[in-house]
Amino acid sequence: MIDLTDLSDKNLKKLKIDDLTHMFMDSINEQTLKMIEGINYLIKEDFDNFEKNLRYVIDTKTEIQIKKAFEAKIFKSKLMFSKADRLKVFSKINDIKDIGEYLANKLLVYKVVFPDEKFKLRIELILKYLREISVNLVDAVKTIGTDLTHAHDICEHIKDERRKMRVEEWNLLRRLWNYEMDYIPKEFIYLKEMIEGIMMLADHIKKFSEYIQFLATKYYYFK
Amino acid sequence: MEFEIAGIIVIFLITLAIGLAFSIGANDETSAPLAAAGTLKIRMVLIIGGAAIAFGTIFLSQGVASMVGEKILGPGIKYTIFMLFAVLISSIIWLVIGSFAGIPLSSTHSLIGSIFGVVIVYALFYGGVDPATAFNWDKLGSVVISWFLSPLFGLLVTYGLYKLIEKFYLSKKKGLNEIEISEKKFAWALVIAIIFAEIWVGANSAEALGILYALYSNGEIDLVTYYFFVVICAILAFLGLYIAGRYVIRNLASQLTDARPSDGFIIQLSAAIILMFCTVFYSVPISHSHVIVFSIIGLNIAQKKEVDYGKLGKMFVFWVLTFPLAALMAGLIYFGFLSFGFY
Repeated sequence: MIDLTDLSDKNLKKLKIDDLTHMFMDSINEQTLKMIEGINYLIKEDFDNFEKNLRYVIDTKTEIQIKKAFEAKIFKSKLMFSKADRLKVFSKINDIKDIGEYLANKLLVYKVVFPDEKFKLRIELILKYLREISVNLVDAVKTIGTDLTHAHDICEHIKDERRKMRVEEWNLLRRLWNYEMDYIPKEFIYLKEMIEGIMMLADHIKKFSEYIQFLATKYYYFK
Repeated sequence: MEFEIAGIIVIFLITLAIGLAFSIGANDETSAPLAAAGTLKIRMVLIIGGAAIAFGTIFLSQGVASMVGEKILGPGIKYTIFMLFAVLISSIIWLVIGSFAGIPLSSTHSLIGSIFGVVIVYALFYGGVDPATAFNWDKLGSVVISWFLSPLFGLLVTYGLYKLIEKFYLSKKKGLNEIEISEKKFAWALVIAIIFAEIWVGANSAEALGILYALYSNGEIDLVTYYFFVVICAILAFLGLYIAGRYVIRNLASQLTDARPSDGFIIQLSAAIILMFCTVFYSVPISHSHVIVFSIIGLNIAQKKEVDYGKLGKMFVFWVLTFPLAALMAGLIYFGFLSFGFY
């Protein structure tokens, strides 16, 4: 397990490309989980913790140090053919942070009260899926280096989960669009954009997992 | 006057042979996978490749050169300088046509086809030699058969070699890190395979040295002069690769950056084994590019990748046509010389 507490440049320089990638993935995943937790606080109308968690996603910059160390290292590295692909994996992890930060900023503009319990349950279900595919993605990224077949299988699971999420998304949107007309539009827009934001993150994770499958297919010595 | 013309033609032939040696180096793409692997800097790749070609040309080429320059002919028949001149003109024209058509034609097939054409014309219209005895048919037969067998064996050796390496080594590599470490090792093994391949490319390249050996065989030049020009050809092959070949290699290497050193190693090693076998045991000139093409097919079959048989069919038609068309062209050119009294 990589220690995320001591991120001095000196320590980062000692790490291998793989270690830096895993550390970066852990850091981004931690922020994604914080955001999911934050949205769960929002569902419970615990606005303080909601804001605290989402602020954490926006304000955390530790991954920038890791990113800089990685970029400096891979530029000079003598890795063979997977150099460009590793850089792409790293940039795809970074995209999760970008989407997460965008979503966190968007969610912080307003503090919504959810329309009813069923809606809350469905959002919780979507968040549960998001949490699962996010954690699975960490496993997939960490497994690329040691077992491409396993990484490929994990990604297949991510795609299945994301498919279930998509079904839930349509259920949620259908529910949202069918509320009584006296429901205030500001909340409607907020919830719609929240669902779309969560799905944007899920879509990126799905595309990322497809890229991992592409790498596995590209590099694995098939019998 | 006739002596003066003959002297000029001999000098012209030697110059063309040396030019051919330069073009062998200039068009040699054997080192491209090594440049693509990035193990060595391009300059080092060119030096190593060029030195290996030169080594093969100087020390290992005599068997193939004597086959083309002497042994392929029947008893009582020797090349005349105008025969050699017609052979070179025909070979060059046919290769230029091939380049415009975008088909990688074999200079070896073109050369032997041209020799066939001029010798038949010589036998029929000048020498009074029975065409049935104009050739050492055993030797010519072994050359032609080797053209069909060498690509086939290239395919089989590559297939077998890949399956063997895959079973005992590659299939045990599960993750990207292991694969990368393994490919790093193959990148260094590739250096050895490329040196090995380049040596036999130099040894088997019959175009230039065959002409020089023919000049030695018919008494136009002595043995010392022959070896002097062999060394010159070796140096020119080195310079061809170093000066002009870099563009071919760099261009190919840029398209091969995603290629695995292990693939390059297997293909080049297989082709080198075939070249070595043909050079050492049978002294037959074969087409390196044909062996490489079939080795790539062998690898694709072993890796269960798709093979473009349509494109291959087009290539095959040109490969088969090279011999008769080069023979026809060279025969006509030489017939033209004979018409003007130049035999």
